[in-house]
Amino acid sequence: MSIDPSVGYDRALELFRAELAVVRTDAELQALRTRWVGRKGSWVAAFMDLVGRATPDEKRLIGRHANDLKRAVDAAITEQQDALAATRRPAGAVDITLPGRAPLLGGRHPLSLVREQVQEIFSRLGYQVLEGTEVEDDYHNFEALNMPADHPARDMQDTLYLERPLPGSPQPLTLLRTHTSAMQIRHMEQHQPPVRLVAMGPVYRRDNLDLTHTPMFHQCEGLVVGANITLADLKGTLTSMARALFGENQDLRFRPSFFPYTEPSAEVDIRCIRCQGSGCPICKRTGWLEILGSGMVHPAVFEYVGYDPDRVTGFAFGMGLERVAMLKWNIEDIRLLYENDLRFLEQFGQ
Amino acid sequence: MKVLLSWIRDFVDVPGTAEEIGARMSLRGLALEGIERVGDDAVLDFDVTANRPDCLSIRGVAREIATAYGLALSDKAGGPGKAGGAGGSGQEALTVRIDEPELCARYVAAIADVTVGPSPDWMQTRLHACGVRPINNIVDITNYVLLELGQPMHAFDRSRLRGDAIVVRRARAAEKLTTLDGKARTLDAEMLVIADAERAAAIGGVMGGAESEVSSQTRQIVFESAWFKPQSVRATSKRLGLRSEASYRFERGADLAGCAAAMDRALELLSSIGAGHARGPVLDVHPAPYQPRQITLAAEAANRLLGMTVPAEDADRILRSLGFRVRQLGAWQATAPDASLSIGSEGAGWQVEVPGWRVDVVRPVDVIEEVGRHYGFEHLPATFPGVEHAPPPSDPRIARDARVRRALLGMGLSEAITFAFIDTAAAAPYLGEQAPVMLANPLSEKFTTLRPSLLAGLVDAVSHNRRHGRRDVRLFEIGTRFSPAGEVRAAACVWTGLASADHWSGHRRDVDFFDVKGAAEQLCALMKADAQFAASTRPYLVPGRAADVAVNGANVGIIGQLDPAVAAQREVPTTDAIYVLEFNLDALTAQAPSGVRFATPLARHPSVVRDVSILVDDTLSAESVREKIRAASVTTRDVPLVDVREFDRYQGKGIADGKASLSLRLTFQAPDRTLTDNEIHAAMNTIVTALTTDLGAIQR
Repeated sequence: MSIDPSVGYDRALELFRAELAVVRTDAELQALRTRWVGRKGSWVAAFMDLVGRATPDEKRLIGRHANDLKRAVDAAITEQQDALAATRRPAGAVDITLPGRAPLLGGRHPLSLVREQVQEIFSRLGYQVLEGTEVEDDYHNFEALNMPADHPARDMQDTLYLERPLPGSPQPLTLLRTHTSAMQIRHMEQHQPPVRLVAMGPVYRRDNLDLTHTPMFHQCEGLVVGANITLADLKGTLTSMARALFGENQDLRFRPSFFPYTEPSAEVDIRCIRCQGSGCPICKRTGWLEILGSGMVHPAVFEYVGYDPDRVTGFAFGMGLERVAMLKWNIEDIRLLYENDLRFLEQFGQ
Repeated sequence: MKVLLSWIRDFVDVPGTAEEIGARMSLRGLALEGIERVGDDAVLDFDVTANRPDCLSIRGVAREIATAYGLALSDKAGGPGKAGGAGGSGQEALTVRIDEPELCARYVAAIADVTVGPSPDWMQTRLHACGVRPINNIVDITNYVLLELGQPMHAFDRSRLRGDAIVVRRARAAEKLTTLDGKARTLDAEMLVIADAERAAAIGGVMGGAESEVSSQTRQIVFESAWFKPQSVRATSKRLGLRSEASYRFERGADLAGCAAAMDRALELLSSIGAGHARGPVLDVHPAPYQPRQITLAAEAANRLLGMTVPAEDADRILRSLGFRVRQLGAWQATAPDASLSIGSEGAGWQVEVPGWRVDVVRPVDVIEEVGRHYGFEHLPATFPGVEHAPPPSDPRIARDARVRRALLGMGLSEAITFAFIDTAAAAPYLGEQAPVMLANPLSEKFTTLRPSLLAGLVDAVSHNRRHGRRDVRLFEIGTRFSPAGEVRAAACVWTGLASADHWSGHRRDVDFFDVKGAAEQLCALMKADAQFAASTRPYLVPGRAADVAVNGANVGIIGQLDPAVAAQREVPTTDAIYVLEFNLDALTAQAPSGVRFATPLARHPSVVRDVSILVDDTLSAESVREKIRAASVTTRDVPLVDVREFDRYQGKGIADGKASLSLRLTFQAPDRTLTDNEIHAAMNTIVTALTTDLGAIQR
């Protein structure tokens, strides 16, 4: 719009703001400044001209309008100048909003993470961590654990046998271990008490694949043997582990149960991590989640490995790492842990 | 074990709802599986552990409830069917002979005249509720007693038994019997039968025979209430593939002292429901009467094992309530007469007499468990075992595998865990000459063979990811693989698709041989092992793109491109090149140097770098050029060559067919001085001459 001070102060300011709004560069801003506050031919100059020609009565008002307009325009332009300076790219600038070039970094398997965490907890408590072999003989997997061949408890663990045994000592290896307890027996055969160990690794049972079972799964088993080991020691130890895994407020519950290799035996529950005990579908409204089996080492087991049950006592526990991972990350289908879908594996970071 | 609440209340007047009772008992050793409503009654389903056959009965469960609630257990069931009495009058010629007292320690028999028909509604309702189908009044009585007291019973049709003798003997070789389920069975001498004068009429403790089955025509029966040896029943039941409610209980251990009481109860029910009455006395053949076990334990023993103090009066109440007889011993008695059974020997103690139904209580710890679980594990304090010695080191494989895992994660591979058993076809390509390790009783065809290589499972994982729209797959696994020689720990990788992360700036390249070779070199470097690569002819790898990796001449792994045909079998498109790596970590560790390693001090004098470009036959390996350079530099030993590396290889435009241009960067450095230009020049001349004369190279 051509310069016409007769539109009045308010309208002029309105026009200025509209023009300022579309300014994008320093050059445009400079041109805007000249057009509005330049010495000659600008809006402010036109207002000043009007002052010269005005009646004494009008002079005051128009003069004030001319000054106000100049001040307002100067201030707005300075402000805009700063704003433009702030958005200006320095030489060699890059678009920092483009994605970065990330080095490849693999995702860790959740079972591996849980395993490491459990390992760390027990290393801190002074346990040695052992692995053992996955193919075992009947003696170490069953018999020495107080499960002779005709024991009904063998029905609790359906075993996968090899078609032809592998060489082993002292007997050929005939089966896939159904628990890592087998290696605890081997350890006790070779070492005198005290014993303080956790055994880790895959174990195998003849279970069909479903939401909560796989024929191979991972176990962590603990064994402590010494002169005065008590069931209360087991409770303290497991409480400490549960708190490290599931949170400082965790509580444990021991339910009497039966395992051939422990006496007394107990199943251990943690307070439901979803509902904190008030009852929800995950814990089947009991407020508790079964997490592991445990007990005091059966004297017969000590006799098998040549320890004197009158002199030593011990506790043992066994926990499925799949179960822990499923509870920790709310994984509803155990099969996800064995599909190795990258969309799943990449969720767990390092 | 399904128990009807009203039936339980025949034995113990327990207050509260089924839910409350279930919750309380779950903390005392009877885990509640579920509750089912039956009208205004309820069925509680308890998971009874294998050591507690006594709880496979209403009375057994009631006894546990009575103890948990501190209530009295009525010895005999109240409720319906309590009138009547055992044994009848009159004479009946029947004898029982036990030929195998070891396998059958007691046999109680009674003859009864009966009128076969349906049992009364109340009995049918109770049986139904506990999961047993009513059949007729006689069979129902046997099942009723089984459920109520846990004693399996059987009824024979007297008229179908030949002669007047019941003989408990081993089966004859290939003796035939058709069991109640209608199947013809062939028996052997390891099996115990109940026979009449001529032939087997029942398999002891497992199932009766069809021929002597009680039918609507039956007028006279023989009731059996016996004790059979658990191991024998279990073996027979397994061998025949035949399990029954009876075998389930006998193989866990029945109450040797309870056979006669069960018979009394059966006869009582018989008359009270009007199904018949006993004829003649009850025959009780009992070659090895039950000798109650006596267990002595020190008073302190329970507290020492549990780590909590159970007041003596609580322990006493618990044991008595469970049916044990308890005698307090003075200090002098605790060491005698069977101190071998006691934990510790000092102080006063208890002598505990074990009731017949508690087949699981054999040692002092078994008694301690009874005290502990009924006093309540919730009273256990949380303590920690003391440390008596420094813990020995962990399995060294754990730390090693962790290092390998970190390295592979850092190469962009994600960690997989696959099943150790795979199908035969998946294993086949990796076996070579080696025999597979097969399972004798696999779950399915998918899990028949213990993996000879981790690659099989990883290729299946590639296939899975490919099917779910993922083209770039980078996975590794650290795990066990199997051969007839045993198991080894291995690490394997599969790599397909892009070699690096896709990025807007860049040049995209698919993974190739040198990516897996680089990974192999890094793994070896991690173990400080010096790797040698030689062309491999493994059938599952693409020839010319495969190498065996050796350290000190011992094979430690393979790298290369997977044969597309192998991938195609696992439904991976043949267009996807999959590069693989597999290391035997145990072999690698065995070859890796051990012991202390010191840091190498940094050189004080500058090194000199010279590049050389040569034209050679394209079949000439880089390694032979490198070796030639090293060999030539030996003659100029005072100008030490410390490094040779290829920095370019080019074929194509400007280079004749069959030739390749190879550029190498040579680094010279002396430990004690700065090398001069002349020295370097002379050394380079020697090297270039050797390359030209010996390898026919042309310097460019």
